[in-house]
Amino acid sequence: MANHSQLGFQDASSPIMEELVEFHDHALMVALAICSLVLYLLTLTLMEKLSSNTVDAQEVELIWTILPAIVLVLLALPSLQILYMMDEIDEPDLTLKAIGHQWYWTYEYTDFKDLSFDSYMTPTTDLPLGHFRLLEVDHRIVIPMESPIRVIITADDVLHSWAVPALGVKTDAIPGRLNQTSFITTRPGVFYGQCSEICGANHSYMPIVVESTPLKHFEAWSSLLSS
Amino acid sequence: MRFASFLPIPTYLAGQRAWSGNTVSMSSALLPKPQMRRLLARRMKFHLFGAFLVSLGCAALYKFGVAEPRKRAYAEFYKNYDPMKDFEAMRAAGVFESAPPK
Repeated sequence: MANHSQLGFQDASSPIMEELVEFHDHALMVALAICSLVLYLLTLTLMEKLSSNTVDAQEVELIWTILPAIVLVLLALPSLQILYMMDEIDEPDLTLKAIGHQWYWTYEYTDFKDLSFDSYMTPTTDLPLGHFRLLEVDHRIVIPMESPIRVIITADDVLHSWAVPALGVKTDAIPGRLNQTSFITTRPGVFYGQCSEICGANHSYMPIVVESTPLKHFEAWSSLLSS
Repeated sequence: MRFASFLPIPTYLAGQRAWSGNTVSMSSALLPKPQMRRLLARRMKFHLFGAFLVSLGCAALYKFGVAEPRKRAYAEFYKNYDPMKDFEAMRAAGVFESAPPK
C-alpha cells in the first residue's frame, strides 16, 4: 500500500508494473524538458520590450512543427510496446473471477475446485491493531507467486473497477460483460487495491487484497477453504 | 574640405552626407559603425540555443538523478533476491492470513 504523503508509484511487484514505472520516468523526463523550455522562453519574452518587427519566421515554424512530432513518436513507441505487452495472456496457471457488487467483491476459483467467497471491507471498529484502515477485508484473495494469473472481471449491478496498483492492474467491471486481465507477481507479499469506478455511497469502502504465496501454501489454503 | 575639421561635427558623421548635402570628411573614423541590423534575430538565436541546452540539461538531470538510480535499485533488489526467504520472514511477522506463523 502507499505510505502517508507518498507521491510516486508503489513498489512494482509485477513485470508490467516495472515497465510502467520506467515508462512514467521517460514521459516525465520529456514533460520536464518541454516545461523548462517553455518557462525559459516565457521568462525571456516577459523581460523584453515588445517588438512587432518580426514578420516572417519560416525556419522556426518548421522547427516547432517537426520537433514536437519527433517528441510524440518518442513517447508513442514505448507506450504502444507496453500496451501490447499487457495484452499478452498466454497459458495462465490460474483463472480467477472477480465480480463487483454494491459494495463488495465476490471471487470464484473454478479451475480445480468450486471455490467462491465474498470479500467485504473490515469496518474500522473491528480492525485489529496494525492493520490498515479502509484497506483490509474479511477474506483475501490468495494466488501462487511467480505464476501467470488470469482475472476475469465483471459486475452484478453497476460499474466497478478492479485495481491493484502494485501489480499494475486496473480493469473495469461492467455488468453483462467479461473483461480479462493478467499479471505475474514477482515476489510474495500482500497487495492492496480499491474499487476504481464510482459505484455509489460506499464506493471507497470495497477494497481488494491479494496475498501472493508459494504454490504449496496456495494449494493448502484452497484445499482448506473448499473442504 | 579642410575647414570642416574645425567644425564641431561628431566624429561618426565623418564620411557621411551632412544636411546641406555636402560630404563631411575627416581624416579617420575613431569608432567603428555599430551593428544596427538583425539584433533581435541574434538574440533569439542565442536564447533558443540556451533554452534547448537548459531543457536538455533538465532532462539529463532527471534521467541520471532519478530514472537511472531507480532502475539500478530494482536490479540490485532482484539480483540476489530469495522469494522463499522473504516469504518466511513475512510469515513469521504474521503478514499472511493464509499462512499463519508456525
